[in-house]
Amino acid sequence: MTPAVVAEHLDKVYRVKVRDPGLGGALRALVHPRYEEVRAVADVSFEVGRGEIVAFLGPNGAGKTTTLKMLAGLLYPTAGRASVAGFTPWTGGAAFKRRIALVLGNKQQLLWDLPPEETFQLNQAIYNIPLPLYRQRHDELVELLGLGPLLDKPVRQLSLGERMKCELTAALLHGPEILFLDEPTLGLDVIAQESIRGFLETYRGRFGATVLLTSHYMADVTALASRVLIINRGRLLYDGALHALVARLSPTKRIEVVLGDSVTRDRLAAFGEVQSFQFPNATLDVPREEATVASARLLAALPVLDLSIQDPPIEEVIRTAFEDAS
Amino acid sequence: MSEAPQRVAGLARVLRALLRLNAVEELQYRANFVASVIGTVFSMATALLTLGLFFRHTTRLGGWDYWEVVVLLGIFNALTGVIEAVLRPGIGGLASEVRSGKLDLVLTRPVDAQLFVSFRTLDIWRFSDVVFGLALAGYALVRVGRVPSLVDLVAFAVTFGAAVALVYAMWVALMCLAFWFVAVENISVLFDAFYEAGRYPVSAYPGALRFIFVYLLPIAWVTTVPAGALTGRFGPVTALVASGLALGALVLTRALWRAALRRYTSAGG
Amino acid sequence: MRVWWRRYAALVRSAWLVDLQYPAAIAIWMVWNVTEPAIALGIWWSIAGSGTVQGYARDDFVRYFFAVTLINQLTLAWDAWYIDRWVREGELNFRLTRPISPVHEAVSDNIAYKLRTGGAALVLWIAVACFWPAARLAWDPGRWALAALAAVLAAGIRFFNGYATGLLAFWTTRVSALMELQFGISLFLSGRIAPLSFLPPAVVSVAGVLWFPYMLAFPVEILTGAVHTTADYWHGFAGQVAWLVAWWLLYVLVWHRGLKRYGAVGG
Repeated sequence: MTPAVVAEHLDKVYRVKVRDPGLGGALRALVHPRYEEVRAVADVSFEVGRGEIVAFLGPNGAGKTTTLKMLAGLLYPTAGRASVAGFTPWTGGAAFKRRIALVLGNKQQLLWDLPPEETFQLNQAIYNIPLPLYRQRHDELVELLGLGPLLDKPVRQLSLGERMKCELTAALLHGPEILFLDEPTLGLDVIAQESIRGFLETYRGRFGATVLLTSHYMADVTALASRVLIINRGRLLYDGALHALVARLSPTKRIEVVLGDSVTRDRLAAFGEVQSFQFPNATLDVPREEATVASARLLAALPVLDLSIQDPPIEEVIRTAFEDAS
Repeated sequence: MSEAPQRVAGLARVLRALLRLNAVEELQYRANFVASVIGTVFSMATALLTLGLFFRHTTRLGGWDYWEVVVLLGIFNALTGVIEAVLRPGIGGLASEVRSGKLDLVLTRPVDAQLFVSFRTLDIWRFSDVVFGLALAGYALVRVGRVPSLVDLVAFAVTFGAAVALVYAMWVALMCLAFWFVAVENISVLFDAFYEAGRYPVSAYPGALRFIFVYLLPIAWVTTVPAGALTGRFGPVTALVASGLALGALVLTRALWRAALRRYTSAGG
Repeated sequence: MRVWWRRYAALVRSAWLVDLQYPAAIAIWMVWNVTEPAIALGIWWSIAGSGTVQGYARDDFVRYFFAVTLINQLTLAWDAWYIDRWVREGELNFRLTRPISPVHEAVSDNIAYKLRTGGAALVLWIAVACFWPAARLAWDPGRWALAALAAVLAAGIRFFNGYATGLLAFWTTRVSALMELQFGISLFLSGRIAPLSFLPPAVVSVAGVLWFPYMLAFPVEILTGAVHTTADYWHGFAGQVAWLVAWWLLYVLVWHRGLKRYGAVGG
């Protein structure tokens, strides 16, 4: 079975103007501009099978979006090859574009002043979707996403989560084989995020579409992807199944506290590994499974004004987990 | 009584900080300066060519001869420079801030909202328009053949100041409309439309338009009067009337602003 | 072919519906478009006095500038500013992943907007002409039909000229300056400030080899009756078609080059 997406040694290099900060630097840049080469994507290779959901994970500026744009045909690589749905993306033309859909988390595609239904109908004409097929897909998607009451409200009146649902619908009406999602849950509340993730899983299961999504939320990955590709500083650090990744990840949870009275760093250290201590704020790491127990003990033993349990930030996770690799 | 100088000093500090910030920001864009100058020169050349075209077919425009109209053109440019450098980036942005709700951020600051909104962003390169405009006016004055007396110069300074104040008041009034008509994005375009009429002496327009520009939309006071003061057509009395008008406009629009703000804050923004 | 017909129907319909949401803003833009010819008319009215300027009496100026207002409204080209913004703010991306070129959206936008505002301008002109005889044109439906054709061609030239200029946004941030430059030149060479015959003969000759007169002056002159002989008509229409093709070709060239550049440096 030929894979849906193939990337071979993709490379992307940009020339960027460099400027020193402050008034002096600004004046210097006026007279004598300097350039620097930025390698956004470096030797990235992978394959995605038909019907898979893969997540590109990495901190901001890691190269995820650049990779996605190359696969969607918006950018030409500086080196390397790619094949998406049997086409070379940047030369694929209209035939290629009919097989893919691109949804950008922070960029609006719906017609802002009109109800989403208008955008749907417009897409039907643009993609030349036969009417019966359009109606069928339209009704299916509306049902799956619960869009009924939203269809007649202007897009500007919808919440961010509702808008993203409509964006997805608009993107899927023409039945694309490959779906590129760039930060689809960006800025959404937890309920909306879960709702989107649930939908994507159902959609993929029912229609067999291949989904490539980028994110810097771990939760997107854990909920959705069977496979995760970690990209940092343009390099592919990890490509594999999710459960294997979790095992490799930093096995800790981070507890953030706001302390009352005069609690010393030493007193806090009894409960876990203290990462930072600036009275009254402090953070400490505890083993993942013990997080709730440790929090309970903390609350019982020390004067704590506020406490929250977090995953360590993804940047740190990647840094600590892959220090050897890079 | 020591409060007033303190407040002035505080305001001066804020303005200085804003100016410095804008300067750093602007120097980033290498071509901005050059582009700005080229743009000014080009638009002045276009205006002069247009005048030239009109004067191919007449010797006087509304009773003004060619070089007198060029003086007016120079003043129009200088005033445009002030508008583009200070007013449009500042108070001109009010409409979109009302719509987006960003105005709330301004209202929570301990500085007077109207002053802050008016002067917090500057497009400093546009001050070159002021320089070019005044230079053109000066050159044209030489060609008119009249040496302005001290009275003329003072009258000019007063009427030009009044013109700036009048234009500012017009912007405030227009932006206050944004409080009532929130959905209209391009209200400032209305100003641009009528301001264009200031390129020519008000006497060049037919009677009905002349009436509008003197008594209703005071475009006449904005360019014709300062130009006339410089060339000696209008004297100290006109200057006094102009300053009175400007003062009245400022007071009126200040009241309008307060009314608009009251409505904004009471309506929940 | 039917596919394209349906696509354009859908695109124009969407654009029309969006415009419906902005009545006040559109009205303000129409006011803005009226002021330039109105001021020019005021000045020429004053200069003409009770006599004529190069054959134009006050009434002739009125008709001329009403025609300029209408034709200008029908031939406005704003797309350059949108393209500039799209390139800078990454809003071009989703348009590029659709199976049709973004130019079709722009054309449909133009059709919807100009049907609406051109229609409004025409209605206003007729209304004014009801009680101001100076604004009336001599009854000549044949000439009006030719003027309409010329207006459509003019709109096409101005559209591709603007769009091609806008596409330079792939290379430069100075697109608005370029549009302002062309706009300034067209003030004279397109007849916006005065009939072309008012310009020095040398300038008129230069204008004649450029596209500016064909973008506005030609349809205006048909409307006001300044085009007399069949030869003049042929010359005018031939010029329009030639420049339409020229600017369309330039657009195609810049679009292909621009896409390559966009793919290389991103957006």
